[in-house]
Amino acid sequence: MVRFIIQRWLVYVARVCGAGIFALLLIELAYCVFGGSDRHVWLVSSYEGVPVQFSREANGWWTLACGRFWNSFFVILIAYGGTLIIGYSWGVLSARLSRWKVSSLLSLPFSVFACVPGFWFVISVAVYSYFEWQRPGFANEVVVETGPDLMSWWYAGVVALPLLMTATAWQIRAVSESIEREAGNPFVKGLHVSGYRNEEIFYANIMRQSWKELIGLSDKMLPFIMGGIPCLEWAFGYNGLGSLFIDSVRGGYYEGVLLCCIWVSLTIGLITMIRELGVRFGTKE
Amino acid sequence: MGNRRSSKALAVSMALLARIWRIRVVLLLSLPYLFLVGWLFSAEGTSDVRPAEVFVVPDPPRWEEPDHSHRFGTTGTGVDLYDLSRVAMANSVAVAVLSSGAGVMLAFLLVMLFANDPGENRFHLIKMLGRSGLLLPPFMVMVILTGGAGGSLIVAMVSMASVIGLILAPVVAEWFEDGEDGRDILAGYALGLTRPQIVRSRIVPVVVRRLLGVFAQLVPVAVLAEMALSFMGLTGDRISCGAMVAYGRELIIEAPWMALYPGVMAFLVVVAFSIMGTLVGAALRTGRYARFL
Repeated sequence: MVRFIIQRWLVYVARVCGAGIFALLLIELAYCVFGGSDRHVWLVSSYEGVPVQFSREANGWWTLACGRFWNSFFVILIAYGGTLIIGYSWGVLSARLSRWKVSSLLSLPFSVFACVPGFWFVISVAVYSYFEWQRPGFANEVVVETGPDLMSWWYAGVVALPLLMTATAWQIRAVSESIEREAGNPFVKGLHVSGYRNEEIFYANIMRQSWKELIGLSDKMLPFIMGGIPCLEWAFGYNGLGSLFIDSVRGGYYEGVLLCCIWVSLTIGLITMIRELGVRFGTKE
Repeated sequence: MGNRRSSKALAVSMALLARIWRIRVVLLLSLPYLFLVGWLFSAEGTSDVRPAEVFVVPDPPRWEEPDHSHRFGTTGTGVDLYDLSRVAMANSVAVAVLSSGAGVMLAFLLVMLFANDPGENRFHLIKMLGRSGLLLPPFMVMVILTGGAGGSLIVAMVSMASVIGLILAPVVAEWFEDGEDGRDILAGYALGLTRPQIVRSRIVPVVVRRLLGVFAQLVPVAVLAEMALSFMGLTGDRISCGAMVAYGRELIIEAPWMALYPGVMAFLVVVAFSIMGTLVGAALRTGRYARFL
């Protein structure tokens, strides 16, 4: 067990290092090859201090990125947590009710919402907030100085909602299809013939057989969520890692781009490692 | 009367009708595509509209709120937003179709490089590339590439096609592997066909059919990605619903319709393409219409 954990940990470190190298290559390709810049990634002079626009938040890039990641953590928590909770529960429900073909119906609201451009949704929320509630709409327009900062949860929720809905639409379909595939196996027919009740077959047999595949689906939407965060945070003026990433890309700040990529790969790699450990130890039991 | 031979014209027309009846689903699906694309591309105005010129706000501004004459309102220079949104969506759809098509072809070509190899692990490299590609989210990769290039449409299209190709290639490789398990493949080997012949005649047609369905489903996703890039100003100075929303964002107090209505248009067009893409994908998965596509 310990050996497996160490092995996975090493793979995790290798993945993050790989992502860092990949990000450096991308920066070189984008800025120097496509953009014609002479600031190569291997030159020390290409890496400057924190620019003026961020200097009020932190003195160093690492501190800045850590602070921004903590802000984005709320968004990730809502989007990814909600995807897992709703995706799995509705997916199991739609598989359970597959006889009535409700799978598409259950994922329909999420699929329709997935067609909404996320950046437009957050701007629409800001417009509504301004005209209906008579208060600043974008996240960077108000700062809570005293008392509990409940507004930060509201802002994080607005940014997370488009990602949550899109990811959930996929998750419901994936979970449902996975269980239905398992339900199509011959042993299910055998259990029916043997006189088992439907509930017993579904929960005690099909679900038990398919749980490994279901756990394997748990981290599939995380890259999508992490990839969607920059655009939405930037559109809504949310001071998170995503808006730091976009500002860094537009301003040509290599450290900002690199640190954002590393934070994202750390998060994705960590969830992937947890999933792999879960599958492994579940199999051993 | 009963012994008379039926005319040749009648026989031909009956055969034609029968053929049309067999491909009725394909025809039915192509009609809304033609209608939607035709409607988008027939908008008044040219596609080389520069948003920086159209969205400039003169003093005093000449914008009008949405009413009967201007359903979506107008910009500060008095340009109708409804027509402008149609032109913008036509641009986005064109970029998405080209990028998705190139991405799908790239994935197919990548897999075909290894398809004739009889080894067990012939697709190992492709699968490894696909896995390592997920170290960073694909959209972040596109943002870095387009942002570093200073907001170039060509780079945006190339990066989108590359990302689609790299993500899709392992999936296509799995289709190839699945396609080799069938009894007809074994029968082909038993009849003495070579591996390239079997790949070309038995596996590739099935894969290409599924790829057409994937392409149809990719288009709305690529439209959304293109709009997000243009919203961030990373696809150059060209009209797109993303760029329109970005310009409107600066005026949400004075003229909120400028940010809202292009998004409504984008949503409706993406919904339409998504529904049609799902239907095309479902029709092609069944395999009933393979011969006609």
